Amino acid sequence: MANFRALQSANRRKTFFLLFFMGVLVWFIAYIAIASFGGSGVGVIPLAVLISLVSVWSSYYASDRLVLRMTRARIIQESDNPKLFNLVNEVCIASGLPMPKVAIVNDPAPNAFATGRDPNHALIAFTTGLLESMDRDELQGVVAHEMAHVANRDTLVSAVAATTAGIVALISDILMRMLWFGGGRNRDHGGNQMPIFLAIIPLILAPIAATMLKAAVSRKRESLADATAVAFTRNPAGLRAALEVLARDNTVVQARSSAVAHMYIESPLDASAASKLFATHPPIQERIATLRKMEANPEITQ
Amino acid sequence: MDASLLIIIAGALFVIYAIIQYNRLVRLNVQVDEAFSQIEVQLKRRADLIPNLVETVKGYASHEREALEKVVQARAASTTASTVPAIAAADGALTNALRGLLAVAEAYPDLKASSNFLQLQEELATTENKVSFSRQLYNETVRSLNTAVKTIPTSFFVGLAKVGAREFYEVDDPSARNAPNVKF
Repeated sequence: MANFRALQSANRRKTFFLLFFMGVLVWFIAYIAIASFGGSGVGVIPLAVLISLVSVWSSYYASDRLVLRMTRARIIQESDNPKLFNLVNEVCIASGLPMPKVAIVNDPAPNAFATGRDPNHALIAFTTGLLESMDRDELQGVVAHEMAHVANRDTLVSAVAATTAGIVALISDILMRMLWFGGGRNRDHGGNQMPIFLAIIPLILAPIAATMLKAAVSRKRESLADATAVAFTRNPAGLRAALEVLARDNTVVQARSSAVAHMYIESPLDASAASKLFATHPPIQERIATLRKMEANPEITQ
Repeated sequence: MDASLLIIIAGALFVIYAIIQYNRLVRLNVQVDEAFSQIEVQLKRRADLIPNLVETVKGYASHEREALEKVVQARAASTTASTVPAIAAADGALTNALRGLLAVAEAYPDLKASSNFLQLQEELATTENKVSFSRQLYNETVRSLNTAVKTIPTSFFVGLAKVGAREFYEVDDPSARNAPNVKF
């Protein structure tokens, strides 16, 4: 099992099921809307879908530019850091991906992220702290992890997850407000409507479930990126050592925000702030252990 | 009337299916060619670095004639190889010769501290990784092609596409193939 191919397909399968459950959740909340709010509930659904689609997909399309601004990253040229460009170039050859834009974030906390709507608009960024604290093999592991996100289209996957979670959150939010501000107009309409108080519990729980599913998708994509990085470099030791550097480090990214937290190689938020179910990243010790298993297994190179 | 319509539809579907399989084989074959030309590009890059490296090492360690000779000979052999196994063998020999030379260089602190050598070291490290990753990508594409050639349904269209199984790029030294991150 400690083989990157098996890990890749397992994580892909889990992503599929999680996204499927998110789709089911959208249907469920839409059903609640129609069943307990009647006509006005039906009107809410296209509104929520539209708002969620427009807001998520416009930021998805411009993700490379938006993220640059949010993280204060600066795009660099080959002459600024030839060694980093060499490393990125190596992984491009291993993966068959086109050369991405490379950016630097001026921050002492070691971290890195990848974004962009497709491999031709990919951007990978590294903090100055990361470049200073790692040797060549460790940097190669980090570059491979970020390029793995590009190869696996993780900006797209997280946009899909964010859209469905957004639809669920919006429908629940609007319906809760309708409840609050006398949306009970439909209360006495037909006999086949379900009592409105029964809707309250699903309306509270559904957005929480959607957020947890979205976080689970993010965690699976991180594990998948680790496995894909090994597929590129065939060197689990490099990425493992890099994660150990990140685990040892307790400086926190300055320009952090929960809006971009899921993109980093390691969560830039305080570990205590998020419980395990809402975490965007698998525990770093778990990731290190998985890579160690791959190191112990000579089969990984096949 | 109905029967002939069905036959036409079935025939059209079969032609579309055949085209898809045919294109898949041809695409895989082209990918193998592309991956191989990537190996050649990287081998050329490495060969171009060697004269500079040899000169630099000579400046500090001229009596390490044996290690230097091995590199020069291996480089010469690698430029004349033409078939895939021959190129792979010459590539492996050059990797080993370079590793031997760099091991020798360890004993010369002046050489290791020279700015020229430091720059060459990064160039060699990245080139060696690029050579090794392009080998790996080539073998991956050959693996996909060979699987398609041998498995149903693509195997039925091998003759039509004039595509066959291709040779893997196998370097003799197993450590050169499995560990791309040799410290140079």
